[in-house]
Amino acid sequence: MTDIASTFSCEGETLIAITSVPGPGEVPLKLGVLVVVGGPQYRVGAHRQFALLARALATEGIPCMRFDFRGMGDATGAPSSFDASDFDIAAAVDHFMAQVPGLDGVVLWGLCDGATAASLYGTRDDRIKGLVLLNPWVRSEAGHAKTMLKHYYLQRLVSPAFWRKLFSARVNPFASLMELLGTARKSRRAEGPVDSPDTQKPWLERMREALSAPDMPILIVLSGRDYVANEFDELLQSDRGWRSCFERPNCTFERLTECDHTFSNAIARDQVAALTARWVTDRLQA
Amino acid sequence: MPAVERDAFFVDTPGGARFTLVTRPTGAIRGSIVFIPPFAEELNKSRRMCALAADAFARDGWQVVQLDLFGTGDSPGDFGEATWAHWIEDLDATIRWVETRGQQPVILWALRAGALLAGEWNARAAIARPCLMWQPVTNGKQHLTQFLRLKSAADMLSESDAKSTPRELAEALAAGEAVEVAGYTLNPALASGMNAAKLETLDCAHVIELAGEDRLNLSPAVSRLVEKTAAGDASVKTAVVAGPAFWQTLEIEVAPNLMLASLDALAGLKQA
Repeated sequence: MTDIASTFSCEGETLIAITSVPGPGEVPLKLGVLVVVGGPQYRVGAHRQFALLARALATEGIPCMRFDFRGMGDATGAPSSFDASDFDIAAAVDHFMAQVPGLDGVVLWGLCDGATAASLYGTRDDRIKGLVLLNPWVRSEAGHAKTMLKHYYLQRLVSPAFWRKLFSARVNPFASLMELLGTARKSRRAEGPVDSPDTQKPWLERMREALSAPDMPILIVLSGRDYVANEFDELLQSDRGWRSCFERPNCTFERLTECDHTFSNAIARDQVAALTARWVTDRLQA
Repeated sequence: MPAVERDAFFVDTPGGARFTLVTRPTGAIRGSIVFIPPFAEELNKSRRMCALAADAFARDGWQVVQLDLFGTGDSPGDFGEATWAHWIEDLDATIRWVETRGQQPVILWALRAGALLAGEWNARAAIARPCLMWQPVTNGKQHLTQFLRLKSAADMLSESDAKSTPRELAEALAAGEAVEVAGYTLNPALASGMNAAKLETLDCAHVIELAGEDRLNLSPAVSRLVEKTAAGDASVKTAVVAGPAFWQTLEIEVAPNLMLASLDALAGLKQA
């Protein structure tokens, strides 16, 4: 396994990529994995999860590239939101396929809003042969989050009853705080500049349409200890349209009940790498 | 505005390949700045701020060399294999790599726990290199304890049965066991090196801290070090600027004032 560092350009900005390829003498698979980084992360990932995933995949013969979106990590330019990253992903696919000449196509791998960005891009490029979506971000309206923040959480934080409850230990203070911070974060999203062609439609609707494409193979990995995964599950349960996206033989669900949002231990990371490697290898035989 | 170019590659060092990011002006350079990263997740959170600062420094004529230490970032190895000694060797190799290419003078630029590595390297060097320190960690043991608290908090959050206090974790490390905290496996040899690391002096340093909501002055730890160093007749300078604690915020944040203050500091450090 070898890591190659390189730069490529997107709309005049410089983006950094690391490509993990199988060692000399090994024949790389014809499908590569492109990591679509989500959340406040750069190409290395929280606790290095993307770097370690890429190396694990390359060891299994699967080339894997990870890169910084414009305005994130070491890339130049201004940051944009997850539903406006098509140009970045397109430039990355170009670069990846040029770097590993034997590739027939690319599987997009994304966590949280990276999974959402991958879904929105997937059907727009026929080089994309599959999606691996981990804890996909589907909370729709920023407005909803704002309402929650304003009328519910803040009220709760200043209410004496909340603090009495907290000190009598009926509320887990960390969980409540994380919930509040998560809401604050989301309410700031989906307000950035948008460069997609049909942004008139809300991104959640575009995401559902994209995921319903019958010939796009999908692997969905959901963590048991994660609000974002719970919300995705709730959406499936409450919405027939969303449920039907995934009722097809080329769509696989994996549930890792003991894992948290970022798969933050060695066991969870290895599980995700093994699931991804097996699924990508199966795609080639399919 | 002078043009800036950014390049990423792996440098061969005696310890193996190390990921290196270089940001430099396209024309002549005034000298090189070697960045010494903070600990664990703080490297991720601060990456954007450091990239912006590197760009600003390069526009001011500096070549900026950002190194990923062994087992961190894009460099080879697992975090759990890394020791404090590896990291000192990596810093040494990078400084020599820059200096043998004649891109001098070299200024060290350390964020948080990077200051501990800078201090230790300088203490061993024949000639100390001037150092720009951002919010330096002055006591490795304290920093490690704060990191171990993350595991206690995570255990509480997951309602796991495995409740571990920072003290229990420190005891396990002292007994030679590896401990996994927030997705990072800690090598006992890394923990012991960090436990022993302490900033003893601020010789040749320019320290910039960020003002918190509760504080507009230098932190007590840095103030004490300044007094101690000034008595030794060295040219230590300090500044406090307003801005977020970008190395630990939930979302990516930046501190423009810190960049401006740093440009002034670098001009002064070069003359020193």
